[in-house]
Amino acid sequence: MTRTTTPTPGAARHAAAPVASLSRRRFLRTTLIAGAGVAALAGAGFAWLRRSPVDSLPPGEGIRYLTASEYHLFQHATAVLLPVQGTPLTPLSQVPVVQHIDHMIGLLPGHLRKQVGMGLTLFDNAAVVSGWHGRRFVDLETADAVQYFDDWSHGNTIQKALATLVKRFVYVAYWRDPATWGPVEFDGPVSEKWGLAYLGNAPLPDQQAVSQEAVQ
Amino acid sequence: MSVQAIARGLPVVQASDVTSAQLTLKADVVIVGSGAGGAVTAYELARQGLDVLVLEAGPYVPSTAFTEDFADSLETLYEDHGSQSNKDGDLLILQGRCVGGSTVVNGCVAFRTPDFILEEWRRDFGLAEMTPATLNPYFERVEKHLSISTNGPHEIARHSQLMMAGAQKLGWSMKPFQRNVRECALTGHCLSGCKTDRKQSMLVTYLPWAAAHGARIHSDTRVSRVLSDNGRVTGVEGEVIDRTGHKVADVRVEAPRVILAAGAVQTPVILQRSELGNAQVGRHFACHPSMYVGARYPEPVYPWRGALLGTYVDEFMHPKDGGFVLEVGGLGVAEMCLITEPGTGKPYIDYMQHARFNAGIVTLIHDHNVGEIRWNGEYKTIDYRLSDQDFPSMMAALTAAVRLHLAAGAEEVFLPATERLAVRRESEIEAMVGQLRNRPQALRMVSYHPQGSCRMGADPANSAVDPHGRLHGVEGLYVADASLLPTSLIVNPQVTVYALANYVADRLLASA
Ligand SMILES: Cc1cc2nc3c(=O)[nH]c(=O)nc-3n(C[C@H](O)[C@H](O)[C@H](O)COP(=O)(O)OP(=O)(O)OC[C@H]3O[C@@H](n4cnc5c(N)ncnc54)[C@H](O)[C@@H]3O)c2cc1C
Repeated sequence: MTRTTTPTPGAARHAAAPVASLSRRRFLRTTLIAGAGVAALAGAGFAWLRRSPVDSLPPGEGIRYLTASEYHLFQHATAVLLPVQGTPLTPLSQVPVVQHIDHMIGLLPGHLRKQVGMGLTLFDNAAVVSGWHGRRFVDLETADAVQYFDDWSHGNTIQKALATLVKRFVYVAYWRDPATWGPVEFDGPVSEKWGLAYLGNAPLPDQQAVSQEAVQ
Repeated sequence: MSVQAIARGLPVVQASDVTSAQLTLKADVVIVGSGAGGAVTAYELARQGLDVLVLEAGPYVPSTAFTEDFADSLETLYEDHGSQSNKDGDLLILQGRCVGGSTVVNGCVAFRTPDFILEEWRRDFGLAEMTPATLNPYFERVEKHLSISTNGPHEIARHSQLMMAGAQKLGWSMKPFQRNVRECALTGHCLSGCKTDRKQSMLVTYLPWAAAHGARIHSDTRVSRVLSDNGRVTGVEGEVIDRTGHKVADVRVEAPRVILAAGAVQTPVILQRSELGNAQVGRHFACHPSMYVGARYPEPVYPWRGALLGTYVDEFMHPKDGGFVLEVGGLGVAEMCLITEPGTGKPYIDYMQHARFNAGIVTLIHDHNVGEIRWNGEYKTIDYRLSDQDFPSMMAALTAAVRLHLAAGAEEVFLPATERLAVRRESEIEAMVGQLRNRPQALRMVSYHPQGSCRMGADPANSAVDPHGRLHGVEGLYVADASLLPTSLIVNPQVTVYALANYVADRLLASA
């Protein structure tokens, strides 16, 4: 069964927080002075032109906001970050993770969307030189992709921010879907399930009991 | 005027009620923001017969509409839809943005201002009236109004019980929290709003009481500027914006008194946009940068079940003992994957598969007021970077949290870092914590307590607001929210904000 709950801007922006406040200038400056960032940009001449077999594939059905390369990046990241196969966790086939991410991305404000786009492009292409993988993130084997995430998680500031960004989008998109809650026994909303009564507003304070003189 | 108690819900003018493109209103006092500071001042002034108008930027979401889904609640109930962060992007700064403000989404923990903090305020900021003798009646009043009481045994969830046993082993003092809740239903969903009105937030207390005394409340109304003439306030202006982000109307209010209670981020922004106040406005921002230290236990804990906040370690609260507090806090799965880094791929899946075995501790420190809030003409910036002075306290709090987890029987404790750093035994703590450096993006931090950006004090050279809550140099303009706090509190601030707001309201009444 495929569930299609609608992710919200809240989750989207929460996931985007790591880059939320890096202004474009600041973002590039940080990138330029950062170790692997330098390598990535130095290698840009060929890295940005490094073709991937997925480049010719269209984005998935119903995708409205992600570019094709972003879509493929998140598809790959989802498979790498959420190896649920063989576990009791809800299979990826039942959680439209990238569709959720697409929705979340669509709800980002313009300036943040731009920064996220730049960040994702860097994350994908920098794999060509960062760690000497020689190929883009979308083409890394699972073990190499895991290594790439781990290297970036203890890399420079921008690497940490981007690795966290991709992880957060994927994790939030998966776990916010109620289909994922059963296997971990997460209860979700309970008040209605438990039939709890609404208490309403507190009664007006008894002005006799708390005298005004006491506080003036 | 007759006082009509309101049993349920609130009479609120919402964007959908506004039919003209220009709204012009009048009041004796206009209050900007309906959270802790705004609601208390609204009630205290309205019940004395003043014509009070409350303008709230966020939507009116009645408790019946709360979803108990954190990701969803971030969107509807939080400032910037839950994404408000510092410039470096490594500190998420959470604030409520709805009628009732942060009190709607807060964790209900209730502390009076510690005496040693009041002492600092008197000594360093000339706030001679900030004595326990002056403030205790305010605390008592608020505690009574908000049904604040100590957690009973049924409110100590499994995670708190485990930590209590750990603290006992370590010989540390640990206490049950006081909370503003009536008949807590133990849903664990405090941060998404209390669906059945048990949390005594402003939404179900001071706001309906203020409305019963005639206060008018407008939601979806973001104030952009305070208007003034010759150093005297004349009103405010702003915009009514509906939930889809569309502007519905301009709003202009004429009022001889304005109280800013928009929270510690927005209050200085409004002042800067209005070009009012001295150079201290926006400076000295503090926020209790917190870490959530998660750990895996050998038995199921179900950290989302039971009262969200049960107990805390007060052993190190005084600055001479370390200056930090450890609070045992619950959380759900969506939050869990944002704050801990258990590793990539299989280790992550293993961690989440065992989510019910996890428990967490929130650290709070007495941070220095090193931050600054700025309006750059287009958007606000929050320039806050953990200071080198505060890094040792953060690490001391982290070390203590790890020790507590291990003493409580945790198998593995995850440091709140961007990379996987886990500790399994006491002997590993020093080396592991020692790997952390005070650099942007090294720690995963959250602030629930922004404060201090319009400091109260006698001397305009180091404060923005005078000891009665008036903005230095402007007649009729008051601040009554967490911006006022001259130094950070260490403890959760809502009760301090309520008490100070009541204090400011009384000073305003006395001068009227
Ligand atoms: C998730 C969370 C958990 C917390 N847990 C606790 C706890 O357990 N115990 C505790 O003591 N404290 C807790 N706090 C903190 C506590 O709630 C705040 O310190 C307190 O509410 C601050 O009061 P305030 O009046 O300064 O701001 P708020 O209560 O945040 O109110 C400010 C209001 O102003 C509105 N506003 C902002 N800008 C404008 C504008 N331009 N025009 C009109 N309106 C505007 C906002 O939308 C908001 O509603 C928590 C906070 C959060 C976010």
